[in-house]
Amino acid sequence: MDPLIFIIGYITPYIAFFTLILGLIYRVARWLSIPVPFRLPVAPAPITYTGVLKRMSLDFFAFRSLLKGNKKLWIGGYVFHVALAITLISHIINVYFHELWAVVGYGWYEAVLYSGIFFLAALSFLLIRRIVLPNVRYISKLSDYVILILLITIVFLGVYMRSFGLVDVASVSEYMYSLLRFNPIPPPDNIWFLTHYVLAQILFIYIPFSKVSHLIGWILSTTRNMRNITRWRRHVNPWDYPVEVITWDEYYRKFKDELETIGPGGERR
Amino acid sequence: MKLDMSFPARKYKLYATWKRDMETMKLPFPREWSHTQFNLPPNWREVALKKMDEVVNKFRSVKLFLDICVKCGACTDKCPMFLGTLDPNNMPVARQDLFRSVYKRYFTLTGRIFRGLVGAEELTEETVELWYTYFYQCSQCRRCSVFCPYGIDTAEIMIAAREVLTAIGLSPRSLTEAIAKCETIGNHMGIPPAALLSAIQFAEEEIKEETGIEVKVPINKKGAEILYVPPSADFFGGPHWGTLKGAIKMFHQIGLDYTISTYASEGGNFGTWLGYEHMKKINRKLVEEAKRLGVKWILGGECGHMWRVIHAFMDTMNGPLDFLEEPVSPITGTKFEHAASTKMVHICEFTADLIKNGKLKLNPDANNQYIVTYHDSCNPARVMGLIEEPRYILKNVCRNYVELDPNVNREKTICCCAGGGLLADETIELRLKAVRPKIEAIKRTGANFLACICAIDKAAFTEYFEHYKLPITVGGVHELVGNALVFD
Repeated sequence: MDPLIFIIGYITPYIAFFTLILGLIYRVARWLSIPVPFRLPVAPAPITYTGVLKRMSLDFFAFRSLLKGNKKLWIGGYVFHVALAITLISHIINVYFHELWAVVGYGWYEAVLYSGIFFLAALSFLLIRRIVLPNVRYISKLSDYVILILLITIVFLGVYMRSFGLVDVASVSEYMYSLLRFNPIPPPDNIWFLTHYVLAQILFIYIPFSKVSHLIGWILSTTRNMRNITRWRRHVNPWDYPVEVITWDEYYRKFKDELETIGPGGERR
Repeated sequence: MKLDMSFPARKYKLYATWKRDMETMKLPFPREWSHTQFNLPPNWREVALKKMDEVVNKFRSVKLFLDICVKCGACTDKCPMFLGTLDPNNMPVARQDLFRSVYKRYFTLTGRIFRGLVGAEELTEETVELWYTYFYQCSQCRRCSVFCPYGIDTAEIMIAAREVLTAIGLSPRSLTEAIAKCETIGNHMGIPPAALLSAIQFAEEEIKEETGIEVKVPINKKGAEILYVPPSADFFGGPHWGTLKGAIKMFHQIGLDYTISTYASEGGNFGTWLGYEHMKKINRKLVEEAKRLGVKWILGGECGHMWRVIHAFMDTMNGPLDFLEEPVSPITGTKFEHAASTKMVHICEFTADLIKNGKLKLNPDANNQYIVTYHDSCNPARVMGLIEEPRYILKNVCRNYVELDPNVNREKTICCCAGGGLLADETIELRLKAVRPKIEAIKRTGANFLACICAIDKAAFTEYFEHYKLPITVGGVHELVGNALVFD
């Protein structure tokens, strides 16, 4: 077997998968290891857990905060994320539960292709926006473009090979199953698939080290996930330390004459 | 959205802390320096990076926010400082990036390997200059956070970033002068006890002239039921004066057993904008005084950032406040359950409850000369969520009340742009530009009275209206309450 095929078919898939999972676990563990010294939700904030759940759900399912401030970006971002979700789910079904299409109907199998088109359109919008709008261009680093271009390439290859029937889904499925059993068979010898596949592996590895870790990080956002109950229930800061302040006695000695004009002992009743 | 690539806001720098104040406050590296000549200590980079490491490992939010920003740009046009100057570094994300890029370079794997490609930058003296300039152009109003899909709060990053600046001996005079006074004399304005007494007596005389009633304000009174802590600006006069008188008149009408304190005569807390330690120090005096006087609970006056500290930090920093009692209004019997732990109630909460229970004798016609609009201060609105109470009071004490444009109102408010240490003469040009959208919105309502519940709002808007030659009076909600009170 070609050594390159051996590496990308037998070795890097595992590296990519475990980097993604363990990397994200490490990221979350690292965040969780740092204390939350204060309770600082952005108000108006809910005072109940149900309220927090509602607030977070609206942010998750409807991107509500984004909707408040930027409608165009909301459309682009929302379509992108929904298409991403559909794509991920349909990949899992395609590869591991292919028979399921027979149950839900092959119409859906065809429909998924169109979500790929929307996916590409949304990604292109986000990329063009990043290049064209001066404010977004100013805050963009090379890595911000690279991730979009990487995604566009992966999605384009996926849509392209599906549209023209360039890959045999059944053989891909068979190969992916073999990976799952830790007894891999050679990957389908198909340049379209292999390119798509390698780029996806790179994406997996990239996620935990980059801003894409927002996919879990958002849940820990303290301005959104905390209740506005600070005066009601005390929040404890684990690294709190005492401070020295001028005491009343010191203050009294310093301003004795002035305080006595207010009244005896500085008191005016 | 256009940018001004000449970075016009770079020229607005807050003046340097006096050496003597650095010594008084025991700040690191006390020395002569200026906003153009930092005279950084030789080991500044080492100190800065050590402090940076410390803050990102002390605040989960800070590390998280530095890590997960996707640079979507939703916040870019939300910061009044940016809208007013079009300076790219005043976009909230760009402001954070000044800090984030250094964090990436020294504390992340990708940053250490890929450097500039992922936006990681070396920490240089030029970076420090940008830090001092732009970190102190954030009023910490949290407007950007409302629109961020993950709620990234620039204010929290700035609080941490300013800790780093303070550690290498950089802090602005606009904060430290007031903090030093507060820690030695008792309040930001530097009003000593005798002057405070004079102010109180003067207010009492004025009230007598205006209404014919004799009031006497208890000072440092042991055993009073309630300690009333307004911002010290209220004792100083100007647009704050009416608020002090309004509150005194109201307390008199309901026969409240209260006291003010000279030792804790400052509700405000400029330490908030410098760092954790001085925030805690200033706030600590309130707690010590409440304990010494033996009051049951504390009532807080009209002040914005004071309430950021009380609502979000006080109990955590200086609690538990077990020696106080759970606040109950002695007039209406209402339990302020939401303040059960901190034992401190906002005067608007207190007054709204009085009105709701019909305990105030009010004649709203007394404010008929005014068309009133209400300005949501950033802290009450976005830290406390105190949005309805002031409006409820206003609607009960005046007949002509109008709301502002919803785009700059309530939780979306554009603040006075003078918080965070920006209330200084050297930033007036910047502030006038930044506050423009708010001024326009106020003009559109046709109001001639701007009610607010923050001392900095009152000072700043008075200045702005003078500059823009607008015949609008600025005053507190309790100034209008005071006007409407009926004494028979």
